[in-house]
Amino acid sequence: MTETQTALDRVTRVPGVRGALVIAAADGLVVAEQLMEDVDGQAVAALAGSLVLRLARTAESAGLGRPRFLHLRGDAGSVLAAPGADDLVLVAVVGPDANLGLARLELLEAAGRLA
Amino acid sequence: MKALEPWVVDPLETFLAESAARLTLLMTSSGQVVAQHGFSRSLDVMTAAALGAGIVASTEELARLTGAGRFEGLVHNGQRQSCLLAAFATPRGRWIGLVVFGPETSVGIVRLFFDQMVHQLVAAAPRELAPSAPMLAENFETELNASLKALFGR
Amino acid sequence: MSLVNFTAREITCKIVYYGPGRSGKTTNLQYVYGRVPENRRGRMVSLATQTDRTLFFDFLPLELGTISGFTTKFQLYTVPGQSYYNATRKLVLQGADGVVFVGDSQARRFDDNLESLQNLQDNLLSQGVDVRQLPVVFQYNKQDLPADLVLSQEEMDDALNFRAVPSYPADALHGAGVFETLRGISELVLKRLAVGTPVG
Ligand SMILES: Nc1nc2c(ncn2[C@@H]2O[C@H](COP(=O)(O)OP(=O)(O)OP(=O)(O)O)[C@@H](O)[C@H]2O)c(=O)[nH]1
Ligand SMILES: [Mg+2]
Repeated sequence: MTETQTALDRVTRVPGVRGALVIAAADGLVVAEQLMEDVDGQAVAALAGSLVLRLARTAESAGLGRPRFLHLRGDAGSVLAAPGADDLVLVAVVGPDANLGLARLELLEAAGRLA
Repeated sequence: MKALEPWVVDPLETFLAESAARLTLLMTSSGQVVAQHGFSRSLDVMTAAALGAGIVASTEELARLTGAGRFEGLVHNGQRQSCLLAAFATPRGRWIGLVVFGPETSVGIVRLFFDQMVHQLVAAAPRELAPSAPMLAENFETELNASLKALFGR
Repeated sequence: MSLVNFTAREITCKIVYYGPGRSGKTTNLQYVYGRVPENRRGRMVSLATQTDRTLFFDFLPLELGTISGFTTKFQLYTVPGQSYYNATRKLVLQGADGVVFVGDSQARRFDDNLESLQNLQDNLLSQGVDVRQLPVVFQYNKQDLPADLVLSQEEMDDALNFRAVPSYPADALHGAGVFETLRGISELVLKRLAVGTPVG
């Protein structure tokens, strides 16, 4: 199994996670995905990619350095993103009752190993 | 932005706002311009449309010939600008979109909102056919001759 | 298929120059391009091989002016004449509103003209178009060559022009007949567009 597949597996095993993707942020494209049916991977990749790039610029201009973890909380769940090497970002879409702490841990751990 | 038919305007404007595209051109599969944004000369638009339609036609034919399946779109990644070329079905026949965009957006964003525009266009297209023959004046040949004379300077 | 827009009052017509290899199709467009005021023409695009043989098409957009209140635009295309480019020839022919058949008047190109005309009919038919329903004019090019090398307009008509559509002798290199040909096809195409509308 590839490093990317392992990363997606670990993240999607966390209770409440509805999907995980590796995206190329600058292009906003899916590199690999493991999603529940109702999650639109193409849309998540495009929008999360754009969001990560914008927030990275914000973080930089505020002197925060490179962003390590993003958490966008909505009424019905969250989007989590952890930038990895190069332009790759590991993204998870989670439901409202997800174990956020565990999801965060797995995401950071797996993103660190994305080549 | 300029569109030949009013029902194209809303979907196209939404696309332009959401995608941050620099240039957008919608054309029929034989290269006739339907709508455009960002070009400064109408005649350059026609050239872009002819080339775009040529690329789509030959790529589709090549895909058919090699059994590569249906053509979904082409992306060219340039140094400073990139471009997306994609064909889609409408109630008015097959159309083609050509989008030029810069690093302020991404191919994923452009493609996402392009697909959304296609849905909106399909929903908005009037089902009844437009009248097919213009009312040419009886003396149109005189005007045609005058136009051609002006064109050739003789 | 011409694009007629009533809201914008615009007509756009696609005219395809067809004919055997080296008959002078590209030369026709080059002459037109050179003679038309800059504000009436767009860029001419030539997708050609290194030896100037048309590979895909030449394209020249023209703005004719206002006719019966419609802004009228023409898109002139040429096809590659060489027989092995038939696939691209078909693509360019798609949606044509009118065809100019550029024949080579040289006697030794007689068979090439026939073959190309047959090929035009086959390609149109494969697109569901009956050549008899489409505006077509003939141009017999290279009439400037020595008389013993070329066929006359009558001889060319006898060989190619069975339906007695308009035909024009030409020397596209120097421009003779180029304008008349374009005028002829424009008239047929616009007349066809107007068919069915009440007159007067
Ligand atoms: N003498 C003479 N030569 C001509 C005339 N028209 C074109 N030519 C020459 O014939 C050659 C071929 O002309 P093109 O216009 O490239 O021919 P084409 O029909 O576009 O050829 P393909 O692209 O291969 O289909 C060129 O060398 C032209 O200069 C003409 O009226 N008289
Ligand atoms: Mg040529």
